[in-house]
Amino acid sequence: MVESILSLLTLLGFPDWLQSVIIIMLKIVVILIPLLTAVAYFTLAERKVIAYMHVRIGPNRVGPRGLLQPIADAVKLMFKEIIIPHGADKALFLFAPVLSMAPALAAWAVIPFEAEMVLAQVDASLLYILALTSMGVYGVIIAGWASNSKYALLGAMRSAAQIVSYEIAMGFALVGVLMAAGSINLGEIVMGQQGGFWHWYWLPLFPLFVIYFISGVAETNRAPFDVAEGESEIVAGFHVDYSGMAFAVFFLAEYANMILVAMLAALMFLGGWLSPFEGIGIFADSWLAAPSILWLLVKTSLFMFLYLWFRATFPRYRYDQIMRLGWKVFIPITIVWILVIGVAIVAEVGPWFAAGVAHG
Amino acid sequence: MAYQPDRSQYPQRRPDGTLDIDLTSGKYLKLWQGPQHPGITGNMSVELTVCGDEVVAGKTHVGYLHRGFEKLMERRTFIQCFPIVCRICVPEPDFNEYCYAAAVEELAGITSPERANWIRTLILEMGRINSYMMYLGGQAGSLGQGVIGQWTTYARDLMLDRFEELTGARIYHMFILPGGVRDGLPEGFKQRMEETLKEIESILKDVYNVMYCNAVFKKRTVGIGYIDPQLLDSYGITGPTARAAGVAKDVRRDQPYLVYDQLDFEPITGKDSDIYTRADVRRRDLLMSVDLIRQILAKMPDSGELMAKLPNVLHWQIPRGETYIRGECSRGEYGYYLVTDGSGYPRRVNVRGPSYTHAVALLERLIVNINIADVAALMVSLHTYPPEIER
Repeated sequence: MVESILSLLTLLGFPDWLQSVIIIMLKIVVILIPLLTAVAYFTLAERKVIAYMHVRIGPNRVGPRGLLQPIADAVKLMFKEIIIPHGADKALFLFAPVLSMAPALAAWAVIPFEAEMVLAQVDASLLYILALTSMGVYGVIIAGWASNSKYALLGAMRSAAQIVSYEIAMGFALVGVLMAAGSINLGEIVMGQQGGFWHWYWLPLFPLFVIYFISGVAETNRAPFDVAEGESEIVAGFHVDYSGMAFAVFFLAEYANMILVAMLAALMFLGGWLSPFEGIGIFADSWLAAPSILWLLVKTSLFMFLYLWFRATFPRYRYDQIMRLGWKVFIPITIVWILVIGVAIVAEVGPWFAAGVAHG
Repeated sequence: MAYQPDRSQYPQRRPDGTLDIDLTSGKYLKLWQGPQHPGITGNMSVELTVCGDEVVAGKTHVGYLHRGFEKLMERRTFIQCFPIVCRICVPEPDFNEYCYAAAVEELAGITSPERANWIRTLILEMGRINSYMMYLGGQAGSLGQGVIGQWTTYARDLMLDRFEELTGARIYHMFILPGGVRDGLPEGFKQRMEETLKEIESILKDVYNVMYCNAVFKKRTVGIGYIDPQLLDSYGITGPTARAAGVAKDVRRDQPYLVYDQLDFEPITGKDSDIYTRADVRRRDLLMSVDLIRQILAKMPDSGELMAKLPNVLHWQIPRGETYIRGECSRGEYGYYLVTDGSGYPRRVNVRGPSYTHAVALLERLIVNINIADVAALMVSLHTYPPEIER
């Protein structure tokens, strides 16, 4: 498809540099539109799933079965006034949502949806993602500071400390993955898991898998780690003074980050687009065993559902308990498991490390 | 190892006992919770002075909901006071009706018939279940666990259906009047009540699994908000809050009223006196109420007088006198002090509600040195209803 567009552009007489710019722009649009739609419908899914767990029905008024609810929400937020509080730093106040949203979307540039379906083939894509997800905290801090509100400031401080701490546990969990795969290119990490369900990294890296996902929940400030917006304490935390689209942008960034963390978990620990039926005799030739983007979406949805499940059933941790969990439990476990993986690679354990040190 | 916070930056005490809080130093922050705040139960506010993440001093402010009911009653006939008394405590109105009716009966020299007493006890226990259901939702909600509130609201709704059947109203029943109750049980009520009780028990089982057995819930509540049992008398602490400290204070047993002396029950007590124990005592108390309702329905007479003979209530004059009627509501001891002067109006009605003692003085004491995040949970665990603080 890219070739046909390229030949069309050549026909129309576009210079080469403009052609590649147009192609990249089109690719970005092709990623962003489904992503933003997914974010919108993720909010609906959240409300519906939590409603059913609450023995309620959830939104069902707008459109058939409430399916247009996200659109109604977006329209409502667009028409609302963005109130800038008295005494707020106007420039920073408006800049903070942008700073929060930009990394959340930019991180998607290196996510491979299938073997060759990736916007930017970056060799250090894991590092790029780590760098960008930690950028999001600046949006939070600046929002809390610029709002000139005590609640927002407290929320921002908590959020900053929490994100920075869990970044470390998350980073160590990712070190395990890169040791196992011998690469920090996400595509190669997925290809290293070929061979069926038992070859995926969730099994040898199980503690890291669990810690990665819990840290991911903490990174995105979601329940039970949502102290940054602890409703019963500091009302809504860092975005308490935001309204209209400025608030919506924070909201979109949070949900885009959640989907990102879920997709990364699927890519790194559950074999990405590889089929769970790979290598099982009876499915050998059917479409079920073939790698496809469908599997990636199914696995991502699984983690996205976990997010909602946590939110519906868990009370909120207290801030100091979160910090203790991160520093005193998760980081030691990850360090120990990295040593275990090192030994396993040297000893060429199981199907995962059979290639041994030479793999890396 | 217990968490030891660094309190070196905390304000010093001045010789006169007040805290030396210098807000301009930048070490402390004034933070208001309320009057409109999701973590506060109703319209009151707590003014917190925080240092870091911990509260160094708290001041409660009430008065956002003052309706002047006690004063209002002084210009109303005895029977006209009924629509007012049930609105004193919104979530548990029946206790006000019972206490006020009993006080009027005592001063007027009327005794309510035996069957009416059984129905009154039934209504009080049903109201207790309602109130506890609201508490459970609030306690979990204050920690961000929304699901419990939804489940218990459903359970409370079932009980409200039974109330509607029995009294014709859902929240403010005005069913207990001086001299007795307005009506007997409707047909088939006992069986439908039994179904409701079964449903409530099964919901409570779910609540127990999701809330009380939840590791995060335990982490947030065990050891937080400890009340020294020695404070009970000086602060006037009663009800489940006192029983969670290990003191078996229960007016239903200590000074039986209505038909409680014919029912078989033991006050529920706990040991640790923290938020978790208080929540647990209330859950077990709720189960006890379910059991009490079963006993009442089995033992109550099916026929008999419902209302004693009353004089014309529009010209009802009650001789000079004063009385204090107490009872055990879901939050603690509830009392009505009624003074009459021989006219057609009460001279003075004073309501002693447990929320007043729990939410004002006690809260200010307990709030010191706890995390901001625990303020809401602590406040809910004292089970206070602001409408009852300001009559």
